Amino acid sequence: MKIVLRVGLLAALVVAGIWLWLVLFPSPEKVIRQRLATVAKRASFAADEGALGRLAGAESLAAYFSTNVEIDLDVPGRIQHTILGRDEITQTAAAARSTVSSLSVKFLDVTLTIGPDKQSAVADFTIEARVGGEPDLIVQEMKFTLRKIDGQWLITHVETIRTLSILNFELPRAPSIV
Amino acid sequence: MRVLVIGRNWKFTLARLAVLAVISFVVFDFFWFVLLPIRVEGISMLPTYQNGSVNFVNRMAYLRHDPKRGDVVGIRLSDPGITRPSLLYLKRIIGLPGETVAFVNGQVQINGQMLDEPYEKYDCDWNLPPVTLGPDQYFVVGDNRSMPAEYHIFGKVEHDHIVGKAVL
Repeated sequence: MKIVLRVGLLAALVVAGIWLWLVLFPSPEKVIRQRLATVAKRASFAADEGALGRLAGAESLAAYFSTNVEIDLDVPGRIQHTILGRDEITQTAAAARSTVSSLSVKFLDVTLTIGPDKQSAVADFTIEARVGGEPDLIVQEMKFTLRKIDGQWLITHVETIRTLSILNFELPRAPSIV
Repeated sequence: MRVLVIGRNWKFTLARLAVLAVISFVVFDFFWFVLLPIRVEGISMLPTYQNGSVNFVNRMAYLRHDPKRGDVVGIRLSDPGITRPSLLYLKRIIGLPGETVAFVNGQVQINGQMLDEPYEKYDCDWNLPPVTLGPDQYFVVGDNRSMPAEYHIFGKVEHDHIVGKAVL
């Protein structure tokens, strides 16, 4: 009986140790997924958020990107714009917060590819965004490139992916919303 | 009720529970892998599908044959590795692999021939030059083409992005 008790205790200790290890040293994939979820949360804002709150939200969003980040947005009919650097992210986010009443952003179906050096990663996912007052849902396939800089996973490049290719068509450019 | 749920004979009760578990598993798998329930959002498939309507995508529809012209299909946005995508585009196939698709004054032309589209009810004035599809590509577009082309999501899609065929 004592042996059974000891083995049980040992097994419980091993399980607790593994759990603690995973909590203290999470895998890059888990860290990146958590950061992406936070980015989506920071990009969202409610209609009743105050001006200061909106500005703080815009600034906190920029912290998840590298200083030399490049964001290439090309959503037909919505936006065609390139954002360079954190400052421009803050400005764009602040402008968006003053233009639309509210925004709800979700990153869905995230697939991650971690580089062999474990210092870089690529995240493919679908953005679902709801703009307050607009009946249509914005849906867009995205690709984020991340790099571990000073111990933090920062987004270095963002690009929109066209699920349906219309490259052979020369469509008129849609007006930018930014 | 006690007789139905708990039963007088525990062996029968266990058997009933086992049958219930198997049925639940089969139903769950059916909706997970075969009939994907979807809710339509947006106006791009009007008037065929109304905003907010519910439908199903049959994931087994193209196991034995390839998609056909006129089929309304669910198209994944995410990586094909995602077994159950959260979001799909719902579009109609108008062009098949190898064909050349063009829009002339709102009319679809396939290999230079006008395509009869009884499902398209709104006026369309799109003019888009011919595009030739690859051996594994389909041309998909919504039924509602009343908006300018640049505001409509349409174009070429690879076969592996087609999840299945709309049932209703």
